[in-house]
Amino acid sequence: MQKIYTRMGDGSVVELSESEVRQDLEEGTKDAAERAKIPPLSEDDLQRLLELYKCPDKSVGVEKGKEVILSYDSGTTKFNRVNVSVSKLQSLQIYERMLGADTMEMGHMDYSYKPAKNIMWIEQPVFEQALLVTIPPLFYGAMPNLGLYTQPDGPCLNPMELLPQGKISEARATQEEMIEHAVRDMVYVGSLMYESGADGINFDTTAAAGDADFLATLRAVEILKKKYPQMCIEMGMSGEFILGMHGELTYDGVKLAGLYPHKQVELAEKAGVTIFGPAVNTNTNESCAWNTARAVTFTKACVENSNIPIHANVGMGVGGVPVTETPPVDSVSRVSKAMVEIGRLDGL
Amino acid sequence: MDKEQLIKEAEKSIIDADKAKAEELAKSAIAAGMDPLEVINKGFSVGIAKVGDLFGRGELFLPELILSAEAMKVAADILNASLPKGAQKRGKVVMGTAQGDIHDIGKSMVVSFLQANGFEVYDIGRDVETQKFIEKAQEVDADIIGMSALLTTTMSGQKTLIEELKKAGLRDKFKVMVGGAPATQRWADRIGADAYGVDAADAAEKAMKLLGEK
Repeated sequence: MQKIYTRMGDGSVVELSESEVRQDLEEGTKDAAERAKIPPLSEDDLQRLLELYKCPDKSVGVEKGKEVILSYDSGTTKFNRVNVSVSKLQSLQIYERMLGADTMEMGHMDYSYKPAKNIMWIEQPVFEQALLVTIPPLFYGAMPNLGLYTQPDGPCLNPMELLPQGKISEARATQEEMIEHAVRDMVYVGSLMYESGADGINFDTTAAAGDADFLATLRAVEILKKKYPQMCIEMGMSGEFILGMHGELTYDGVKLAGLYPHKQVELAEKAGVTIFGPAVNTNTNESCAWNTARAVTFTKACVENSNIPIHANVGMGVGGVPVTETPPVDSVSRVSKAMVEIGRLDGL
Repeated sequence: MDKEQLIKEAEKSIIDADKAKAEELAKSAIAAGMDPLEVINKGFSVGIAKVGDLFGRGELFLPELILSAEAMKVAADILNASLPKGAQKRGKVVMGTAQGDIHDIGKSMVVSFLQANGFEVYDIGRDVETQKFIEKAQEVDADIIGMSALLTTTMSGQKTLIEELKKAGLRDKFKVMVGGAPATQRWADRIGADAYGVDAADAAEKAMKLLGEK
C-alpha cells in the first residue's frame, strides 16, 4: 500500500501507512479529550483529517470563500530574528503588501511589557509613522513575561529559587508581588500606545510563567477595558493549559491553574478580551497527524465555548506545527486547513 | 503491614506529598526486611511517575510537585543507604541542564529516579557550561553524563557536549544521555548520543541498559 508522506513533531520526514495515520489521528484526539475533559473529534472529522493527510499535494488550502483573518503577532521582530535587515516600518509593509496580513502588530525586539515601558518615547513616534504608511488594523504587542520581575532582572524574589528550598508560601507571595508590577506595566504601555492610535493591544504568550502570569494579564485587560471601552484586546496564550506555578490563584472565583483553552477563553472574555488565541503545544515525539488531531480537538472545544473570535496560534511548535526554525509548508498548510474547516475558528 | 499494602502506601505517600509518611514507610520496609529496590521501584517510583503525569496534565501544580519530589528524595535516601554493599551504587551519573537553560524540573525528576534506582548522581544544576559537565565527569570518574534541555535554542548544547568530548579524546570514556521537551530519539541519533530518555522513568531504564544491567 502507498505510504503517506508526513512528518514528526520535530519536522523530520516520515512515511506512514494509512492505518498508521488513522491510528495517530484517533490517539491525538483521544489525548486532548481526556486531558481537557472535552469531546473527541467525530468520525466525520477524523475522516476529513485522514483525507487531508492522504492528499499528495505539497500544500493545501481552504475552499474559496472560506478564508479567515490572518492576524500576525510579534510582526516586527520576526524578520530581524532571521537576520533580514529591515526596519519596523518596512516589516509592517512587507506583512501588508506581500504576506496578506489582515491585522499586524508592532513590538520591540525585547518583546516584553517591562522593557517596553522604558522606551515608549521611542516606540510612540515610530508607531504613529507606521499608522500613516499602512492600512490594516495595527496592534502594539508584547509578552506579559512575569519572569522579568524576579531578581536579578527585577525587584522580586525568584519563586524558582524558593520552591526547591521548600519555601512554598514565600514562593506564592513573591508571585503575587510580581503580578502587581506586571499589571502596572501592561496598563501603562497599553494606555500610551492606544492613545498613540493603536487599533488594539496584544498580550502575546500569556501565562508563559504560569497562573500568576495569566492573572496579571486578565487584571490588566480588565483595567484597560474599563479605561478604554472601545479598545480591541487580543490575548494569545503560551500553552494548552495554565501551569500552576502558584497553584491557588483565582479569577472571578475560578482557579486558574490547570485550565484548558475552552475554560481559558471564558475568563478572557469576562475580563474584556476581544480576540482570543489558544496555543496547543506540539509533541516532537508524535506525528503531525497526532499533533494536528490533538490541536484541533482543543481548539474546536474552545471555539464552541466562546462568544468572541478565536484566532489560534499556528506556528513553530504550536497548533500542530513542527518545532523547526522554518516550519514546512506541507505541515503548516494542513494544520491551517484543519483548524479552519474542522476547528471552525475565526482567524489564524 | 504486609508488603503489598506497604508498597501501595508508599506510592500514595508520594502522590499526597507526605514526607513524614514516606520516611516512616521507608524505615518500616527496612525493618521488615523487604527488598529496598522493590519498594522503590514498585512503590515510591510509581508514585512520582504518577505525580509527573498529573503535573503534565495540569491536574497537579508546581508546589505539590516540589513537595512530592522532596518526599521521594527522603524515602529514596533511606532505602538506598540500606542497599547491600556492591549493589549500593549502580553507576555514577553527572546530570545538569544545558547552558542558557534555567528549566530544571524535568532534570530534577530524572535525578530522583536515578537516585531511587541506585545511581550515584552528581546534580550540577541548571544553565551549566558544557565544559563543566566534562570537568565534573572526569573529577568523579562518572559512567554517564546526562544533559537536559527544554528549549530548541539550548538543545544544541547536547551536540556541543558530544563534540567537545570527541575533541578532548574522552568520547569513549563516558556514555552520553540526552532528554528534555524538544529532544527526540532521532535527535539523539543525529548528534551521536548513547541514549535518549523520554521521561524520568525511561531515563532510569536507559541508564541501566547503558551500563549493561538490563
